[in-house]
Amino acid sequence: MKPSFRLAQHPRRWPQPQSGPPAGYFEQLPTRIMAQVAVPARRRVSLAWLLQAPMSMRTCLASTLLLGTFAVSLWLGGGPAQPSPTPLARLDGVPQEQLMDYLLTSEAHVDMTDLAELPAQHLGITQQYLRPSASELTAALDDQPADDAALL
Amino acid sequence: MEDLEILAKFQQPASRNLAFNQLVRKYQQKVYWHVRKMVVDHDDADDLTQDVFIKVWKNLENFRQDASLFTWIYRIATNECLSFLQSKRRKFFLPLHDIGAELAAKMEADPAIAGDEIELKLQKAILRLPDKQRLVFNLRYYDEMPYEQMAEVTGTSVGALKASYHHAVRKVEEYVTAADTPTLPSDTVD
Repeated sequence: MKPSFRLAQHPRRWPQPQSGPPAGYFEQLPTRIMAQVAVPARRRVSLAWLLQAPMSMRTCLASTLLLGTFAVSLWLGGGPAQPSPTPLARLDGVPQEQLMDYLLTSEAHVDMTDLAELPAQHLGITQQYLRPSASELTAALDDQPADDAALL
Repeated sequence: MEDLEILAKFQQPASRNLAFNQLVRKYQQKVYWHVRKMVVDHDDADDLTQDVFIKVWKNLENFRQDASLFTWIYRIATNECLSFLQSKRRKFFLPLHDIGAELAAKMEADPAIAGDEIELKLQKAILRLPDKQRLVFNLRYYDEMPYEQMAEVTGTSVGALKASYHHAVRKVEEYVTAADTPTLPSDTVD
């Protein structure tokens, strides 16, 4: 049977016979494709480098990474927890002469009234921190102005 | 942007993304329509078009320019289409006629064709061709691709392609002629 339909005589739908994709499809397609290829490409490069390395190097890298992680975590954590010294212990470590110098300077803002009231509120405090000898006490008292003697 | 410029920029990491974006913009419509004519459905064509460009991205670094970039991309798209149709048949255990009928049903639903009886018969006839012959028909009839370029895309000799196209045209004409009669011409797989 000779076909009556001739393709050459049929008006060709060019360039394509079907209806097109949704509106804006070709504007969005490059962005969608780039979103898929950009990130995996960077991963692929790093993985390829790692996979091509010899086994010994990979073992060495893994060990270094493990040790490094441990060291960094120690450093960030500040090492094993140590009990911090109490304020009293810290004060105890200061030499007596240094304490006297500090208390007698004007920057300490400690006046004779403070010194006189402190032993009354905290009994024995002077013996705990200031351990003056009898001669030191006598010398200190002799150095005081006459009008402050009423406090004694 | 010319293909050589795209390829040169793609080799440099700093301009790689820009070059590939230009490549996609340049070839997306050709790839999409090449795929769409084979799989008919837009969603399938959309998935496959993206897969094609992802493969292009992965392999472009090793592209040796034995063929033109356009031909190389067409070859990837062609292989993707043929693999897709083959896997669809395997997945649903469909024979050749059934997948042709499925694609024809999708074609019937296309508003651009539904009202044109002769065009619908023609499209159904094309869908009855075996996949590879349909591919040859589309490349020649719709894309007007030279046989030499078709040979690069399909990996087939020019002589075989000419014969395949000739047989395809004859089968399509016979089918459209006999479409109104109860007995349809049988398909032959080349």
